[in-house]
Amino acid sequence: MWREFNKFGKKLVQYGLTHSHFGNMSVRVGDKMFITRSGSMLDELDENQVVEVHLHKPTSFDIIASSELIVHREIYKNTSALAIIHAHSPFAIILSLLIDEKEIIPMDSESIYFLHEIPIITGKVGSTELAHNAADALKDHKAVIIKGHGTIAIGKILEEAYVHTCCVEHACKVKYFVDLQNALTGRL
Amino acid sequence: MDWYGWCGKLVDIDLSRRKIQVIPLELDIMRLYLGGRGLGVYLVYNELTSGIDPLSADNVLVFATGPLTGTPVPTTGRFACVSKSPLTGTILDSNCGGRFGPYLKFAGYDAIIVRGASRTPVYIRIADNVISIEDARSLWGKNVRDTTAALKGYGSVLCIGTAGERLVRFASIMNDNTSALGRGGLGAVMGSKNLKAIVVNGSNRPRVYEPNLLRYRNADITRLLVASPVSSKGLRVYGTPVLMNLINYMKVLPTANFRRSTSPHAYELSGEHIHERFEVRLTPCYGCPIACKREIRSSGMEVPEYETLAMLGTSCEVTNLNAIIEVNHLCNDYGMDTISCGATIACYAELNNLQLDPKTLISLVHKIGTRRDVGDELAEGAHRYANKMGHPELSMDVKGLELPGYDPRGVLGMALGYATSNRGGCHTRAYMVGMEIFGKPKLIHRLSWVGKPNLVALLQNIFAAVDSTVMCKFALFSVSEEEIANALSAVTGIDFTSEDFIQVGERIWNLERLFNLREGFTKLDDTLPERFFQEDTDIRRISKAEFMSALLEYYRARDWTKDGIPTHDKLQALSIAGEYSHVA
Repeated sequence: MWREFNKFGKKLVQYGLTHSHFGNMSVRVGDKMFITRSGSMLDELDENQVVEVHLHKPTSFDIIASSELIVHREIYKNTSALAIIHAHSPFAIILSLLIDEKEIIPMDSESIYFLHEIPIITGKVGSTELAHNAADALKDHKAVIIKGHGTIAIGKILEEAYVHTCCVEHACKVKYFVDLQNALTGRL
Repeated sequence: MDWYGWCGKLVDIDLSRRKIQVIPLELDIMRLYLGGRGLGVYLVYNELTSGIDPLSADNVLVFATGPLTGTPVPTTGRFACVSKSPLTGTILDSNCGGRFGPYLKFAGYDAIIVRGASRTPVYIRIADNVISIEDARSLWGKNVRDTTAALKGYGSVLCIGTAGERLVRFASIMNDNTSALGRGGLGAVMGSKNLKAIVVNGSNRPRVYEPNLLRYRNADITRLLVASPVSSKGLRVYGTPVLMNLINYMKVLPTANFRRSTSPHAYELSGEHIHERFEVRLTPCYGCPIACKREIRSSGMEVPEYETLAMLGTSCEVTNLNAIIEVNHLCNDYGMDTISCGATIACYAELNNLQLDPKTLISLVHKIGTRRDVGDELAEGAHRYANKMGHPELSMDVKGLELPGYDPRGVLGMALGYATSNRGGCHTRAYMVGMEIFGKPKLIHRLSWVGKPNLVALLQNIFAAVDSTVMCKFALFSVSEEEIANALSAVTGIDFTSEDFIQVGERIWNLERLFNLREGFTKLDDTLPERFFQEDTDIRRISKAEFMSALLEYYRARDWTKDGIPTHDKLQALSIAGEYSHVA
């Protein structure tokens, strides 16, 4: 199990989708969840950096799990997701701060195909509000952006959640540069 | 002059002469040592000469609040007690929640220093500016609950049980039944002075220099406490027993006197199991939003702390939850440190090749609390007992203080923290478990020495300063020295930066070291029991060569000589005035 975390943790950092210390990942197995530990570095994950917690009730291991544990729990309880990746992808964060809309409509064909629209939600780090907002939006979407914070993407396996994370960042990057070019040439 | 945060005076009580004085404090000293542990260490260092018997009238006991005690800053309902330990011979501070600290402040005093010894049992009563020494003959022989019940009408009760009266070397002092000045035998010092209790009540709140700014600072601290999983999800929900499953999972749970580091029965003593079995009620210390303390609603008995569950439980190989709840209650009532008591019994069991059961464990605690039969030998602590029996290697202690609930083989920062602790085998000098296990504020590799010596020294300094404010160390899972320094500045009106704050801690640490050097301790005492260098558990033994290298790096981080001695330059830089013959 931890080898999958290690693989996609490295990819997330290697391709600039998040920095080493930002973000977290989890996988649901029945009533349990494996989640990265608080303070772990995503590009150096080993078997000691992934912890097992219960999905429906608090356990003592909660205190060493990612501080976004509450958000992961709420998503698993309310969606069919079996894997979650939370990343601090730079273009997703930038775009969420630049626009006032509650969602981003991708301009590129791949992202439109995979994601349709990407909701922008709010809520403080590790808060109940964020957990509810994320779970609610992910009932009908593959990924969301937390305004000024980062992305949450879901999938049936970590690889699928990783693809959706890539897609969000790609969509935001494309839209950012298209919008910028349009602004420079007065086409907006 | 106007004092903010502090009251500006202490009560000096000479029990031999039955003399009570109220003495003004110097702001310069308070700025350098803050209060609590720092003020206590300063006073004890200067009051005592080397070589005195800790259980003689020559020793002093200092009870000290800090500038934040009793203010609206969260988790600051605390105070410290400092003396020369009868268990270790080192300087020793202990730190306690409950209500005594704030009440002493409300009475208008920063500290009490008790010197001499009474010929007959007495207790001290403080109610604002009325201070008296009262007859306690009718209380002598009573345990903590009965003593507290008899005196509670007068305010917050700090008292000893029969363990303190009988000079059990790890006797504690209890505040309002359940909060303890637990470690190092301060209760025996109190007993040696024939001082049964101190009761305090007061009617004035400490003044705050900038109340509006403090509200803003407190909001900062509260936000961080709420956001931290350790304080808001762990300690708040389960209390310190939240650690049991986690520490077992990490393979650092003391089991069978540290012969093993995991227990298949750990769950029986876990926070989860306690909450399944019992309905509990939170019993927080004064001004604490974390509320880690709790009691069982049906019986009113305290839920044991993690350290108690580990040292009287798995380390003694007794994992019957009811039995541990009972021995915890007994220790609190006799007034005994549960860590040293459990570690001493575990040493006794190994030395005599005994498999303990609940009944035997309970019986041994009674015997120690009353110094009956084998209890008389065990009341001397594991170090003296194991030495007397010709097996010093079976005592799991550092400088005579028994180790608490974390096997150092699996947390190397903690190993160095234990070895270099000024009061001996203690987890609260630099709680490296915070970083090595919880990942707070940052997860670091627990089986690597890299960076640890510097980090241990830094945490020791920060913890010494926090113990002097006096804030709860659990707040440090969420709050940094910066927020504390900001709150301290708002309360006192004196500008403390983070660096100033840490330097206060470094000053205290160095003065404690000077005390111990004066008593004859050397670098040879900065070590661990041989078991940790010789025997593997689920985790490999510690390499002695690597440990020694880390120790030297620690001395360098402290600007000490390679023999672990502070230099004159260092002491001057820390404004530790005076002549010290035992420095380099």
